[in-house]
Amino acid sequence: MFLNNLRLVNFRNYKELNVAFSHSINVLIGNNAQGKTNLLEAIYFLSMGRSHRDSNDRDLINWSAKSAVISGEIESRTARYPLEVRIEKGGKRVLVNHLTENRLSDYIGNLNTVLFAPEDLELVKGSPGVRRKFIDSEFAQMSSNYLFNLLQYRNALKDRNAYLKNIKWVANSPKFDETYLSVLDDQLIKFGSAIILQRFSLIQTLEAYAREVHLAISKIEELKLCYITFPTVNEQSSQEEISEIFKKQLLKNRNRELFLKSTSVGPHHDDLKFLINGKEVGSFASQGQQRTTALSIRLAEIEMMKFETGEYPILLLDDVLSELDGKRQTQLLDFIQDKVQTFLTTASLSDIDKGLIKDPKIYHVKDGVLIND
Amino acid sequence: MQYPDAIAKLIESYSKLPGIGRKTATRLAFYTLGMSEEDVSNFSESLKASKSDLTFCQVCGFITSKSDNPCVICSDPSRDQSKIFVVEDSQDEMAIESTHDYHGLYHVLNGVLSPMAGRGPEDINVSSLITRLSDHPEVKEVIIGLNASTEGEATTLYLGRLIKPAGIKVTRLALGLSMGTNVNYADQLTLTQAVNGRTEI
Ligand SMILES: Nc1ncnc2c1ncn2[C@@H]1O[C@H](COP(=O)(O)OP(=O)(O)O)[C@@H](O)[C@H]1O
Ligand SMILES: [Mg+2]
Ligand SMILES: [Zn+2]
Repeated sequence: MFLNNLRLVNFRNYKELNVAFSHSINVLIGNNAQGKTNLLEAIYFLSMGRSHRDSNDRDLINWSAKSAVISGEIESRTARYPLEVRIEKGGKRVLVNHLTENRLSDYIGNLNTVLFAPEDLELVKGSPGVRRKFIDSEFAQMSSNYLFNLLQYRNALKDRNAYLKNIKWVANSPKFDETYLSVLDDQLIKFGSAIILQRFSLIQTLEAYAREVHLAISKIEELKLCYITFPTVNEQSSQEEISEIFKKQLLKNRNRELFLKSTSVGPHHDDLKFLINGKEVGSFASQGQQRTTALSIRLAEIEMMKFETGEYPILLLDDVLSELDGKRQTQLLDFIQDKVQTFLTTASLSDIDKGLIKDPKIYHVKDGVLIND
Repeated sequence: MQYPDAIAKLIESYSKLPGIGRKTATRLAFYTLGMSEEDVSNFSESLKASKSDLTFCQVCGFITSKSDNPCVICSDPSRDQSKIFVVEDSQDEMAIESTHDYHGLYHVLNGVLSPMAGRGPEDINVSSLITRLSDHPEVKEVIIGLNASTEGEATTLYLGRLIKPAGIKVTRLALGLSMGTNVNYADQLTLTQAVNGRTEI
């Protein structure tokens, strides 16, 4: 999959930008705070309908404007059509081939991206929330069914939590409708068990790819991915078995939940563990091993997306090349050359072994303007 | 310079209606000034009557005039007394009535369960439905026709769980493609439901 061109109007510090891209490697060079990450952010937004940074949509609109537009032509093996996102202070609109798509969930999947930024080390070292976000956003791009279950689960969770919050306590006992709570439980279980089932199988696929990449980079080490959910659930469990265990856990925690007024068990608490030679990477591995793991996961993701969707995603590398040593730079570039359209940012080309990149297209970024080399 | 009291109050009243801002309210108020004496008094009578003459049917919850309580449908012995059609509001009941294909009774919940909006089982017209069913063993089927939203879905499941143990048949409206929809234009939620609710031909 390729992004042929990009047009920005009042996006961040870009007043107006029209640029055509190479199908191989696009290098964005510039000093700090010139708009390199902003450009990757625009591409990511065109892909996912949201920013990869924790920013509000309205922060993306240029300070002196009321609305922003991102549009670009995408090209796959079978089609070629424009995508467009219009961001206004009151909301956003997404268009596929000039037609408005009413649900963001139907929009996602038109342009698949994998983003690799220095913060990605958090994937290995950070909190479980970081990894859940990773799992959900990657799998949602590969499977519209996963995204569907995820959105339904979030709604069911919001409803159930709101009901728990609304329950009044009279004389030290909660007054609630047993039947209604069981309906809310069942909605949560229906979508939650589907998510757990899908995560097991998708993580297994991801692991197979990650292990191969990781072995190629490290030569000897064995990487394993381990999905952590209900202790008695494993990759052989059927959806019925998962549902039953989920239900038991909800009943077991009922009093606690009534007291805490929120849902304490379910896939929104799950985690993913990375192990090298049986040891947990987050706590026991060296910085180098952690970087290699994060890199392997991203590269595995690229292969997996190709497998699941039939197309390579586009790759966004924000300031990461300079963080990798020569060996890992070579591994990474070997991997992506000639197959994955890539956008990489760097402060200067001297950080990168130029000989490694075949035929790069180079752009200089200065104060929201792109100059073609 | 201020508008005279009477107009100012009229503008204020109009702007309480949904979708009507200050400008439109002002336009409507001035339009009202140009209306005939008779039209204006009919208008104000109807406005008043909407509060003073209307109430919810004590049996089914449908909007009805105070002099017709129970409502026309509940008092009509020719309606099929073995079926009750559960709807969210009176407008939905009117929509079903206008198909002329259903001849049973109704029950209007006047809302659906929505924890996010702070509406639990005690805030909608459910307990009167349960009382009604236990008082009327001749009811053999309850048809649930709520909106195909998460809240409508939860309310449907909830009613099913309350009513089924009493041995009454509970059915729901089919979910899926609307007439004239192309399969490839339907969104995913609709398609999933249409596939799950497929019927044999
Ligand atoms: N909404 C906005 N309107 C105008 N400029 C913005 C907006 N948001 C961020 N900026 C500017 O963008 C610059 C940061 O760009 P960024 O792409 O993060 O830099 P870098 O090139 O270092 O990756 C800063 O100068 C910031 O002031
Ligand atoms: Mg940056
Ligand atoms: Zn009635």
